[in-house]
Amino acid sequence: MARVLPGEWVPHVEAYVDVSRPAAQHSASVDALAALVNKDKLTLFDLVSKMEMYLTTTDHIVRSRGILLLGEILSRISVKWLDVNTITTLSDFFISRLSDWQAIRGALVGCLALLHRKQGVGCIVIADVKRIVESFLQNVQVQSLAAADRKLCFQILSCILDRYPEVVKTMDGEQLYWICEAIDEEKDPECLKLSFHVVEVVMKLFPDPSGLAAQFASEFFEILSKYFPVYFTHGVGDDLNATRDDLSRALMHAFCSTPYFEPFAIPLLLDKLSSSLPLAKIESLKYLDNCIRFYGTDRMVRHASAVWFKLKEVIFSSSPEEFLLTSGSPKDAEKNKNQMVLEALKCLKTAIMCIDSSDKDLFINLILLDEDIVNKIHSISSEEKSILSSLEDLAQLHALGSVISILSESSTYLCTRVLQEHFTQLVDILGTSTDYESRQLNTCNGSSSAADNYGALYLSVQMLTSCREVALVSYADCSSIKLAKESWWLILEKKLDRLIHFLGSFLTIDSESMQSMFRQEYVSCAVKGLLTLATFPEQCSPLTANAYEDILAMLTSVIISKFENVDLWRLSLKALTSIGSSIGEFHASQKEVIYCQTVVDKIVSLVESYDGPMPLSLRLEASYEIGTAGFNYMLRVARSLEGAVVTNISKTNGGMECTEHVAHLFECYSGQVLPWLFTSGGINELALSFAMHLLDEIKDLTMLDRIGSQGLLDSLMAGMKLLVGVCTEEQQTRIVQKAYSMVSSVIPLPLKSMAYHLLSADELVPSHTVQETALVGMLSSVIVGLRPQTPAPDMVVMINLFTVFLLNGKLPAAYALASVFNKYLHNPEFSHENQLDKILDGILERCFSTVLASNQSKISQSGNVLSKIDILSGLAWIGKGLLMRGDEKVKDISMFLLKCLCSDETLATIPSHEEESYVNDSSNTSIATSAAGAFHVMMSDSEVCLNKKFHARIKPLYKQRFFSIMMPIFLSKIKEATSMTTKLALYRAFGHIISNAPVPAVITEAHQILLVMVDSLAKLSVDIQDKDLVYNLLLVLSGMLMDEKGKECILDNVHITISVLTQLVSYPHMMVVRETALQCLVAFSTFPHSKVFPMRRKVLQAAIKALDDKKRAVRQEAVRCRQTWQSFA
Amino acid sequence: MVMGLINANPVIHEKKERRVRQAPETTDENAVEPIDQLEIFDHIRDIKDPEHPYSLEQLNVVTEDSIELNDESNHVRVTFTPTVEHCSMATVIGLCIRVKLIRSLPPRYKVDIRVAPGSHSTEAAVNKQLNDKERVAAALENPNLLDMVEECLSPTFD
Repeated sequence: MARVLPGEWVPHVEAYVDVSRPAAQHSASVDALAALVNKDKLTLFDLVSKMEMYLTTTDHIVRSRGILLLGEILSRISVKWLDVNTITTLSDFFISRLSDWQAIRGALVGCLALLHRKQGVGCIVIADVKRIVESFLQNVQVQSLAAADRKLCFQILSCILDRYPEVVKTMDGEQLYWICEAIDEEKDPECLKLSFHVVEVVMKLFPDPSGLAAQFASEFFEILSKYFPVYFTHGVGDDLNATRDDLSRALMHAFCSTPYFEPFAIPLLLDKLSSSLPLAKIESLKYLDNCIRFYGTDRMVRHASAVWFKLKEVIFSSSPEEFLLTSGSPKDAEKNKNQMVLEALKCLKTAIMCIDSSDKDLFINLILLDEDIVNKIHSISSEEKSILSSLEDLAQLHALGSVISILSESSTYLCTRVLQEHFTQLVDILGTSTDYESRQLNTCNGSSSAADNYGALYLSVQMLTSCREVALVSYADCSSIKLAKESWWLILEKKLDRLIHFLGSFLTIDSESMQSMFRQEYVSCAVKGLLTLATFPEQCSPLTANAYEDILAMLTSVIISKFENVDLWRLSLKALTSIGSSIGEFHASQKEVIYCQTVVDKIVSLVESYDGPMPLSLRLEASYEIGTAGFNYMLRVARSLEGAVVTNISKTNGGMECTEHVAHLFECYSGQVLPWLFTSGGINELALSFAMHLLDEIKDLTMLDRIGSQGLLDSLMAGMKLLVGVCTEEQQTRIVQKAYSMVSSVIPLPLKSMAYHLLSADELVPSHTVQETALVGMLSSVIVGLRPQTPAPDMVVMINLFTVFLLNGKLPAAYALASVFNKYLHNPEFSHENQLDKILDGILERCFSTVLASNQSKISQSGNVLSKIDILSGLAWIGKGLLMRGDEKVKDISMFLLKCLCSDETLATIPSHEEESYVNDSSNTSIATSAAGAFHVMMSDSEVCLNKKFHARIKPLYKQRFFSIMMPIFLSKIKEATSMTTKLALYRAFGHIISNAPVPAVITEAHQILLVMVDSLAKLSVDIQDKDLVYNLLLVLSGMLMDEKGKECILDNVHITISVLTQLVSYPHMMVVRETALQCLVAFSTFPHSKVFPMRRKVLQAAIKALDDKKRAVRQEAVRCRQTWQSFA
Repeated sequence: MVMGLINANPVIHEKKERRVRQAPETTDENAVEPIDQLEIFDHIRDIKDPEHPYSLEQLNVVTEDSIELNDESNHVRVTFTPTVEHCSMATVIGLCIRVKLIRSLPPRYKVDIRVAPGSHSTEAAVNKQLNDKERVAAALENPNLLDMVEECLSPTFD
């Protein structure tokens, strides 16, 4: 490897050593040198020998820079292999330099780099590490150094401790004392983080009871305790490498590092728990939680009672008010309080789990027999306190419930003890006055719920939940639990009937008759209880099959008959769903059978029935929710929906309601059920069979007749599209073949001849029967949903068929054609690509001539005009299909549409009789209007067809492209147009294009179209028909106002823009237009005042008028607008 | 001379949760939403007190119930309660409310502003001053006073 000449690299050294150079140059020099060394273009030996003068001079500044340079280079070549000699020499050098306090930075950097080197690239020998430690202890006074140097020192220390613990193992007390000294009084956050880590590792190194850690525990803890709780207010933006959380975590690890801290730490933490600072409390709870885990049972047992008393204080502390002073708003105080209680409960749980005393009853004696707890439970069971009177009572009760459930959840033994102590008694309280009949009587008298003891209810449900938790942990050997004398299981079983009966009574009595303000709490508690009972693991469930069935029946009956009570209804539904999913979790076969019979069957049958008092939306919601409990249940739901649709179709007396009903069913089926099935199972045989089923149903001609005349067709077609859309290609092939064969068997068209050429005009059948139209509609919706790769039979025949129907003004046929041309459906007949193009040309030709036909022949019947309008929008759909795939032919269509827009202009030049011209005029206006609408169809997104769901081919940015192609054409046409009607039609069409194109694209052309846009806004605001278009255009204008480039352009035309906006402030047809116009006017406040000031008077007049608008939102905007413009003065 | 604050330690009340109006259930373009008490209260609740960084709502100077409104006869009456009886700021507060309502209500309204009976030592004088057109106009000619009013009103336009 070629070496570089000293002349090339020595300047780098000189640059680094020169302190007067900028820092950027320094780091560049180090990088350059390190790169040379890494690439072997420069050996360390050469470097050091050239640098000799800098390393040994007596000038402190130069020497320190020199040593630092060497250290920095060393830290940047950490992956380069170095031989033992080099390493030893470097270690010797840096170790000796540790005593050179003026140049210590370089020595520290060098030592750290050496220590960081990995095995395999040549690393420092153990003996040298020892020497580093010795020299370090002898020469370095950490606390007298600058912060950056201290950080290096701590980094070296923690690196040695982490990587070479054997060196430190042999340390004596003096060295530990030195570490104490080094970290004492440290204040820099980054150094602190490291020093906490150092303490943690040191303490862990000496676990021996007679070792150094035990000796030095009190010294170290004294230093650490000063930092607790970590108070550190620097935010993220302060560019520090430490956050409060980091520091707090590091300190916590240090606290937990050795059990020898226990005599100091636990009293400190317990003491801080009484602090009034929420932060201190929360921190202490977190630390306590961790310390309990690490210090071990032996040490913690003696603190158990102290811990419990302190925690009790926190958990039952009555109100968040005491923190109001320290935590600002009441909301913060509430939040702090909640977090504190949560942490305290967590800590209690840890204590119970981790302090594994030989005295099994330790916590029973402490907690369950605690005087306060006993009193609280007693007061609940006494009569006077039976009804909740305040939120505070509720909070206390919840705290008590949490403590009891934590205690009883911890082990089978504790659970049994808790239940022995209280459960029977609580359930008895519930039971005393709760014979069902007497309750009913009570509620009728209105004296009611005095006897319903919420406290007892809540606590017993809480205990139930704990039992379930215990059962979940130990359900493998549940037989022992059942057999054990006096186990929780037996206690529970004994009281079960009573409990179920009681809980169920909440679901059955009338909601209004209970007047307690906490009614909601009662019910949700009862439902929770039932849910808990029903979701015990099957092996150790205390429930008999009958009881299980009873519970399910209760909940189901709520679903079926109590839908007016929305809260209860939702709760029960949720409970049923959870019960269902728990069956799947535990593979409980026996339960599954019961569940299917009592729940799924009944709920699913809700959907199948047409009538019933329950609203359909709730019925659908119930069945979908139940379905989510398991795959098989959802299959049931899907099948019943299918059945419901089919029966509704075949029902004779339908009408509007029936149509809506079917539409809802389809919506639920394709919007919820199918997607769920896809995500969880990925099968869609269902959709196929449903589609086939539908086709079978409509085979019958009388059926078709009815469907067509009742308006059911639309919802059926929409449903069919969705079904076909989700099918795979093979399935789609089967559906399309079936549909096609049905059509070809029914419709008496010369299909054979259609296979080869397009029909001529006279072969057209003027009108079709209702059945045929319906059938073709269904076929078209099948085609719309197809994937591009799906092969379709006899494509030319189908295209011909659809063309015939299109020419008769049937839109579904246009959807199908649009889809066909958009996707170029795969078909062997189209082996050469031109064929489809030719067919397309033919179709367009026919459409064009039909639309134009009567213009010349002067036969204008209204029916004819109507069908022409339909053909025009059909053309628009085909155009959309072509536009989306980026086909050139879209130009033909758009040019034709433009021609229609200007049609009255061309006619005006032809002299004609007056009355005829009148008729002609109106027909032409409507044709022009629908041609304008056609542009809307082409540019907007549609749910009907040609979207992602139906696998349309969509070229990126097609709207933008269309906009930039059409813009110049429209601009020149608008300029040419002389008559107002033509201009309006052009404005409409162009407005649709502008408002649907992406706003950034429009803004780049703002200078060209702004005036046209503003004029369109002014002219279009006359006709109520155009209100949506006006609104959309106004939105585009407001987008321009927000953009710098758009603003520039508006500034050039500020007068006309503002005057049109002031007109729109009183736009009568749409509230949002007025509101947006006012917002736009407010946006002018960012314009140069000199430009807009002349308009002030006009705007203020408009705004003052708008202050009296009939809509509130407009008035509010008017106030803002007025204030903004008023202040221009 | 160093002036002390007139009420150095006012009682701060909680801001009431903004009552969110239900989206009009009819999407009928022609349905009229008449001006009501809450709307007028929304206009003036955020006016800043001239000597404290609190809003009139927080100081309980105005409440929703203190506004009387008759939409047909185009009449609004706002009754406000100064925090202390001898409050010399009462006229400024009243002026702020008047200016804000002049700017926010259609010109057809007649706005009547009063201090609550018994809440101020020179009640009659203050009422007279606040409802005298000329004096209000004259006050607004005073640039210092106008600046003060504008500052108090600025939070209401956010």
